[in-house]
Amino acid sequence: MLIKNQTFNLVLFSLCLITTIYLVYPFVTILIFIDSPSFVNSIGRPAVINAFLLSASTATISTLLLAVFGIPLGYFLARFHDLQGISILRLIVFLPLVLPPLASGALLLGAYGPLSPIMKMLPIPDVTQSISGIVIAQAYVASPFMILASEMAFKSYDESFERVSRVLGKTRLQTFTQVSIPLAKNGIIIGSIISWVRAVGELGATMMLAYNPHTISIQIFEDNAIGGLSRAIPDIFFSIVLSITALIAFCFYSIRSRNGSYLKVN
Amino acid sequence: MNGLELVNLNKVFPGFTLGPLNLRVKHEVRVILGPTGSGKTTILNIISGLSKPDSGSIILDGVNITNQPLERRKIGYIFQKPFLFPHLGVYDNVIFGHREHESAGESEIRELLKDLGIWHLCDRRIQGLSGGEMQKISLARMLITKPKIMLMDEPLSNLDDQFKKKLRSDLRRVLKERNIPTIYVTHFKQDVYALADTISILYKGRVVYDDTLEAALKIQQPFTFPFRSDIFIAEGNYIEGVVTYCKKGITRFKYYTQILEILGEYHVGSRVGILIRPEDIILSRQILKTSARNLLHVKIVHIEKPIESTGTVNVYMMLEQRLHLVAKITDEARLELGIKDGDEIFVIFKASAPQVVREGYSV
Repeated sequence: MLIKNQTFNLVLFSLCLITTIYLVYPFVTILIFIDSPSFVNSIGRPAVINAFLLSASTATISTLLLAVFGIPLGYFLARFHDLQGISILRLIVFLPLVLPPLASGALLLGAYGPLSPIMKMLPIPDVTQSISGIVIAQAYVASPFMILASEMAFKSYDESFERVSRVLGKTRLQTFTQVSIPLAKNGIIIGSIISWVRAVGELGATMMLAYNPHTISIQIFEDNAIGGLSRAIPDIFFSIVLSITALIAFCFYSIRSRNGSYLKVN
Repeated sequence: MNGLELVNLNKVFPGFTLGPLNLRVKHEVRVILGPTGSGKTTILNIISGLSKPDSGSIILDGVNITNQPLERRKIGYIFQKPFLFPHLGVYDNVIFGHREHESAGESEIRELLKDLGIWHLCDRRIQGLSGGEMQKISLARMLITKPKIMLMDEPLSNLDDQFKKKLRSDLRRVLKERNIPTIYVTHFKQDVYALADTISILYKGRVVYDDTLEAALKIQQPFTFPFRSDIFIAEGNYIEGVVTYCKKGITRFKYYTQILEILGEYHVGSRVGILIRPEDIILSRQILKTSARNLLHVKIVHIEKPIESTGTVNVYMMLEQRLHLVAKITDEARLELGIKDGDEIFVIFKASAPQVVREGYSV
């Protein structure tokens, strides 16, 4: 029995080690491609800085838009789970997650491109090759993370808290803002961070809808195509900075959420 | 009419129908009893507006509130769990439902919190409070909104026994002092004795019994009560009276002309309700000089057939044409005493025998 356990531990340890090396290895090898003088010079290139700022700002805007439109949908899915057809709605929410990003981009191009019926009807400026196009693409692919994380967050506490609030004289809107949102806060923040990270990393859909101006992902793609990996390293560096910032925030709120067993005090 | 009136209230669920229900609750504590699934919580949910009836009306202080949104009904509802908002501190929880000009003022809130013994908790967070403290805060949170009626759904069920006893007494006092009509749902006998003015028994969605606590306790003789509930049998004899004397751990209270003695100290002038188990009662043909402090002259009204498995019989007696008492004695003792229906005998019990189940509220 002991031998069997040891064998299991050995296999488990080996597999874990291989996976970890697989995850870390690209970060180590990239150092080989760093040419210090050119790295210092190219990190200050306006195109790189602009791409970095554009990604950070558009991801923030798309996350805020998702918060306004996605959180209510997450609440709806959590509270009306008995409603007929709710599973279909949930499948619709999952769609951007399962579609290849390029396919999503193609769909968005059809929907919001110059040839789309809605853009022909409404006096809206063309969103392709614009910041609006980037935001639309980012929000589309990141939406499942915000909506599903909100749904989970609203399901994580007893609905009776909301009932108590209503009995105490609060309207549904007051209850939503004063009770539901604060109780679901940590889950919503985690959803927002994941959505933001997904928006920052978005490439496929953005490429189809708004190749220009360049986001950091498109900049990496283009620099690599033009000058190889060493030219793309500053872009990669910035994208790593963005991702690690988000990762730290995610860990912070995950721990807080886990320790926040205060939802169970009652 | 002041208070609550339910008129032909009806709600159909798959496999269960509530009603038609007609019920009036004035300035009283009405305890609703009933087995699990009899519709007790559904009634509270419908009154509060959390659930809608299929038909019928809910009249509160003369106003039909059946179709009113729940936030406008001005109803207090205490759930089994306190559901204090964990993102708010104690005081912010208490004033969560506060409305200018409608709710209690600042000094009133302070008095209420002091009265409930939770004023010192105001600056605390919710985390780390005991279950009893939380339920008191939840009660205060509802009371400051000055509800027209209070609904309570087994609010003590998750608490320790030691908290329960104290909280029952506080609850009744606070509700009676504020004269708030209350519906209290429970299946605990102790809650009934400690809190009820009136009792309704719910069975399969219908009210099958509806009367005062005193009247309900008179139906100790089970054969007179077709829908008898466990609440009125086996537990014992309930006697309530006004405290006339209290010294050195001994309290005397008066029940009509009788003076009874119990252990414990209770305020003179307050009311106490005691419960005596049938097996703690001694029957005697004559006045005996014993160490027992209570002796009552009663008349036997009925002697049940002996229970073969235990060898005991229940002897039902009447005190002063008002109070029904039941004693459990062995069949052998019954034969030796030679008692029969209509005989006058003496009931004896020690001062330590009764359990005080109601206390603190003065008339």
